[in-house]
Amino acid sequence: MLDSKIPKEGALGKKWEDYKGHCKLVNPANKRNMEIIIVGTGLAGASAAASLGELGYKVKAFCFQDSPRRAHSIAAQGGINAAKNYQNDGDSVFRLFYDTVKGGDYRAREANVHRLAEVSGNIIDQCVAQGVPFAREYGGLLSNRSFGGTQVQRTFYAAGQTGQQLLLGAYSALERQIALGNVTMYSRHEMLEIVTIDGKARGIIARDLITGKLERHFGHAVLLCSGGYGNVFYLSTNAMGSNVTAAWKATRKGAFFGNPCFTQIHPTCIPVSGDHQSKLTLMSESLRNDGRIWVPKKQNDNRKPSDIPEEERDYYLERRYPAFGNLVPRDVASRAAKERCDAGYGVGSSKQAVYLDFAFNMDRYGRIEASKRQISNATPEQIRQLGKEVVAEKYGNLFDMYAKITGENPYEVPMRIYPAVHYTMGGLWVDYELMTSITGLYALGEANFSDHGANRLGASALMQGLADGYFVIPYTMGNYLADDIRTKEIPTDHPAFVEAEKNVQADIDKLMNIKGTKSVDHFHKALGKIMWDKCGMARNEKGLKEAITEIQQLRAEFWKDVRVPGTANEFNPELEKAGRVADFLELGELMCVDALNRRESCGGHFREESQTDEGEAKRDDDNFSYVAAWEYKGPSQFELHKEPLVFEECKPTQRSYK
Amino acid sequence: MEHYNMNLTLKVWRQKNTDAQGKFETYPVSGISSEMSFLEMFDVLNERLINEGKEPIAFDHDCREGICGACSMHINGRAHGPWAGTTTCQLHMRAFKDGDTVTVEPWRAGAFPVVKDLTVDRGAFDRIIEAGGYISVNTGNAQDANCLPINKDDADAAFAAAACIGCGACVAACKNSSAMLFLSAKVSQLSLLPQGQPERKSRALNMVAQMDKELFGSCTNTGACEAECPKEISLTNIARLNREFISAGFTYEK
Amino acid sequence: MNWSQFFNTSIGKKLLVGATGLFLCSFIIVHLAGNFQLLKNDEGAAFNAYAAFMGHNSLIQFIAWGLKIIIIVHAVIALQLTFRNRAARPVKYAINPGNQTSSWFSRQMAIMGSILLIFLIIHLADFWWKFHYGDVPTRTYEGGIEPLKDLYTIVNSAFKVEWLVALYVIGMIGLSFHLVHGFKSAFQTFGLNHVKYNGLINFVGVWLFGIAIPVGYAIIPLVIYFK
Repeated sequence: MLDSKIPKEGALGKKWEDYKGHCKLVNPANKRNMEIIIVGTGLAGASAAASLGELGYKVKAFCFQDSPRRAHSIAAQGGINAAKNYQNDGDSVFRLFYDTVKGGDYRAREANVHRLAEVSGNIIDQCVAQGVPFAREYGGLLSNRSFGGTQVQRTFYAAGQTGQQLLLGAYSALERQIALGNVTMYSRHEMLEIVTIDGKARGIIARDLITGKLERHFGHAVLLCSGGYGNVFYLSTNAMGSNVTAAWKATRKGAFFGNPCFTQIHPTCIPVSGDHQSKLTLMSESLRNDGRIWVPKKQNDNRKPSDIPEEERDYYLERRYPAFGNLVPRDVASRAAKERCDAGYGVGSSKQAVYLDFAFNMDRYGRIEASKRQISNATPEQIRQLGKEVVAEKYGNLFDMYAKITGENPYEVPMRIYPAVHYTMGGLWVDYELMTSITGLYALGEANFSDHGANRLGASALMQGLADGYFVIPYTMGNYLADDIRTKEIPTDHPAFVEAEKNVQADIDKLMNIKGTKSVDHFHKALGKIMWDKCGMARNEKGLKEAITEIQQLRAEFWKDVRVPGTANEFNPELEKAGRVADFLELGELMCVDALNRRESCGGHFREESQTDEGEAKRDDDNFSYVAAWEYKGPSQFELHKEPLVFEECKPTQRSYK
Repeated sequence: MEHYNMNLTLKVWRQKNTDAQGKFETYPVSGISSEMSFLEMFDVLNERLINEGKEPIAFDHDCREGICGACSMHINGRAHGPWAGTTTCQLHMRAFKDGDTVTVEPWRAGAFPVVKDLTVDRGAFDRIIEAGGYISVNTGNAQDANCLPINKDDADAAFAAAACIGCGACVAACKNSSAMLFLSAKVSQLSLLPQGQPERKSRALNMVAQMDKELFGSCTNTGACEAECPKEISLTNIARLNREFISAGFTYEK
Repeated sequence: MNWSQFFNTSIGKKLLVGATGLFLCSFIIVHLAGNFQLLKNDEGAAFNAYAAFMGHNSLIQFIAWGLKIIIIVHAVIALQLTFRNRAARPVKYAINPGNQTSSWFSRQMAIMGSILLIFLIIHLADFWWKFHYGDVPTRTYEGGIEPLKDLYTIVNSAFKVEWLVALYVIGMIGLSFHLVHGFKSAFQTFGLNHVKYNGLINFVGVWLFGIAIPVGYAIIPLVIYFK
C-alpha cells in the first residue's frame, strides 16, 4: 500500500504548518557533512540547489546542457500564479488551491496542492528580492494578468519571458552558491544510473559528455529535477534535449511512475511544416481572446483563406460550443482541431492546421478606435489599420515570432495553428515529502506527478517548480537527513557503485556495438508517430493495444538496427540521443499501458469510450479516483499500485462548456 | 508566402576536439525547403552523414525557440546569421536562395574554446555571473514583494537588460571578442533595481575583474554586439556599466 | 580595488585612453588656431612670434611636455589593448561581417592611430626638433625687439616638397578617421550615453573633429604648396 505520508493531524489548511513545526532538523555542523546530489537545473533543480546550499549542505548539481541557465524552464512564456490577492478581486490561498484541483480534473492530491497554494506568495517575494524584473504598474507595484481556468487575476509575469526571468533568478542564486563553494556544478554531465545501497539512494553514475568518462558520485540523498517527458512524442514544445532518462533510470531501479498517461496538449502552436520538423513552438493561448478559429466547409479546400467567403467557413468551436466559443479549455480546443483535420478539413500545405483569424476583431477594434477618435466616414482600410494597431499593441511580439517562423504576416493572413504536446502532468510518484518510493530519492518539479492532476492550469508549472525547490525540499530534506547524520561518506569503490557503473558501461557498449543502419532520429520519429496517433489527444482501447505492440516491435528493432556513429569516449550527441530514445521507447509503452488501464476520460486524458452524449470527457470517479503508480518489474512488465485520492475540500463535479 | 526548395553548398568547420586541428569541410545539400529552420537543415545533413557512415556535425542547440541561448553558429560572417534580432534556431531557410554557399563557423574567441565542430565552451559566462551577477538573498529572507515599489521605467529597463540569453553572440560578433554587452546587461539589470543597490559597487568591480581574467578583449565601442544580439540588448547598457565601474572604482574603499 | 588595479583593468585602461584622447582633441583645436597664422600675409611675423611665445613661456613648456607624455600614454595603452584584443581571438573567422554590423571607422582605430603616430614623429622631427635644437636662422620684424627664430620660412620651404605635403594630407585623413569614431567613443567609455546628448556628441565628433579640423590642418600645406 502506498503511503503518501500526508500529515494526519489537523485540517487541510494546517497540515503544512504543522509539518514544518514538527519535522526533524539537522544542525549546521552536521549539514556541512551531508552531501546532496541534484540532477537537473531548471526551476526546481536550481532553486533546490541554491536553497540547500544556503542551508549549508554540500550540494553537487548536474545538468546536461553547457550551463545551468539553459534548462527548458527558460522557455515558459505566460506567467506564474500566486495567491497574493494584490488585485483585491477575491483571491486567496483556498481559491488557488481549489482552482488547481478543479483544473486538474480532480486527479491531484489535495494536501500537496494546498501546500503549493500556501507557499505561492513566498515565491513571488523571493523572486522579487532576487531582482526578477516582473511587470509593474505605473505606481511601481506588481502587475497581474488573467489566465485560463480562473476568475481572478493572479498571474505575475515578465512580458512573454516569465520562465526566463524566473530561471535566471534561480540560476543567479545557484551561481552565488557555486562561488561560495557550497555547490559544485557539473555541466554537460548526464545522470545515467541511481546507486542504491541498503535500499537507499546513495549516489549516481554520471557521464561527462565531453570526455565520455563515467563518474561515480556519492550523496546522502539524490534529487531528480529533470523535467517532463513530452519528447516521447518526438514533436513537442519541449527543448530538443528534454528527456526522461533520469526519471526512467529511477523507475527501473524501483521508483514508481505516477500517472504516465497524463499529458497536456496545447491548442495554439505553430503547425508542422514538413517531415523535417524538429520541434514545435507555442503561441500563447491568450491569442484565442481575439482570434476566431475556423476551417473551410469544403474538404481539401486549397484556396487562399482570403478567397474563401464567409459563408464557406466553419467556425467549428463557435458552432459546437456556443457558450464558450473560442475560449473553451485547452483539451477541448485541441481535440476539436484534431477532429477537423482528421476529417480532411485541415489547411496549409500539410493539411494539419486550422486558421486563427484576427480579421473580425481587428475590424471591431478598428471601429471602436475610429469612434474614440471621432473619425466619421472611416474607410474599411482605415478601420482595418486602426484595428491592426490595437492588435499589435496586445500581441505584437507573438505576431513577430509567428512571422519569423512561417514567413507569413499574421496581420494580413490568418495564423495557422495546431495543437502540440507541451507538458506532462505525470512523473515519478512522490509522497508528501517529495520522496519517491526509493528511500532518499526525491523528485521535484515537472519530474514528479504530484500537483496538477490530469490537467495543468496555465502559469502553474513555474509555481510548482519553485515551490518544490525553494520552500518544500529544504524542510522535507532535513526530516530525512536528520536520521542519517551518522552515515559517513560512502567511498565510491563500494560494490554498489562498481556494479552500477559496470551496468551503465554495458548499456553504452551495447548501443555503440549495434552498428545498425538507421539513425536514432528515425526511431524517435517512429515512436513519436505511434504515440501521437494512438496515445495523443484521443485514445481508445484498440489503438492503445496496437500501440503497445508496435512500440515493443520498434524497441526490438532499435536494439538491432540503430546506428550510433563515433565513439563512446568523446563528445557524442548521437550517443546521448540514443540513450534517451532507448528510455522513451520503454516509457512510451508504460504510457499506453496506463492510458489503457484508465478507462475514463479526465483532463488531458481522453478515452473515446468514456464521453458524454455531446462528445465531452466523462470522468469515472467511482473506479478511477486514484493515482496510478506503476512499478517496473522487467521489460514490458509493470505492476499497478493505487493511491486512492480523497477529496475533503473540493467535491468533484463534471465540466461542461456548451 | 511561396515556398521553394533549394540546393546549397555548406562549408562547415569540423574539429574533433579542443586540441585537434580543425578545418572546413564542404557539403552539398539538396532539396532544402524554404520552410525549414537553419538547424533543421543541419538535421537533414546530419541524418545523411549518419546514413553514409560518417560522423554528424556537433552543434549546440536546445529549445529551438530563441530563448535558451544554446545555439551558436557564425553564418556567412554573421553571428546567428543574416537576420537581425534572431537566434540561429529561429533563422529560417528562406533567408537563402538556391545555389548559395553558406559558411558556418563556431563562435571564435579564446575564452570560448571549441569543444567539437561548432560547439564551444561558454563556461566563462557562468564564471562571470559567479563573480557577482546576483543579489545575495537567501531563500526565505524576502519581504512582501509589493513593499518595494519600483519606478516602471526602471523596471522596464531592467527587464530589457535581463532579456539577455547568454548565447555569446556579442563576443562572437565583436572584433575584440569582448564580453562587455553580456556583462553590462547583468550589471544594468541589477543596478537599476533597488534590490541591487547594496552590492552595487563590489558587483561592478568583481565582474569586470573576472571578465578580464577570462581573457575577453576590451570594448572599442564598434557596436557590432548590439547589431548581432538576438535580444537586441542596447549599447546604453555598456555605458551604464562604465559609469558603475568608474563610480565604484573611485569611491569603493576596498 | 586600489588605483593600480583599477587602471589595469580593461575598462580602467580604456578610461585612460579616452581621457588622454579627449585632451588631445582640445589640443588640436589650439594648435590649429596657431597654425592658421602661417596663412597670414605678413611674412611670418605673427607665426614666428607665436612660435617664440610657445617655445619660451614656461607654463606652455610644462604643458608641452605633459602633452608628449599624454600622447605616449594614449598610444602605449591603446596599443596594449589592441594586442590584447587581437590575442582574444587566436583563431580568426574565415568570413567577417565587414560593414554590416559596425562602421568601418570604428574598426580602424589602431591603424589610423598608428598612421597618426608615425606622422607625429616625422612632424615633430621636422619642426619641433629643428626649432628647439636645430640651426634655425633668425629674423627681426618691424617693431620687434628681439630677433625671432624663423620657423615660418622652414615651414614654407618644407611644404614645397611634394612627398611631405602628401604625408601631411595622409596624416590628416588618419586624424579624421580616427576622430570620427574616437571622439564619441570616449564619451561612451566614460558612460556618457544619453539619448538627449548623443546627437550633439555625434555631430561634434563627425563635423568638427572628423571634418572641419583635419581639413583645416590639411589646407595649410596645400595652400603653401600651391602659393
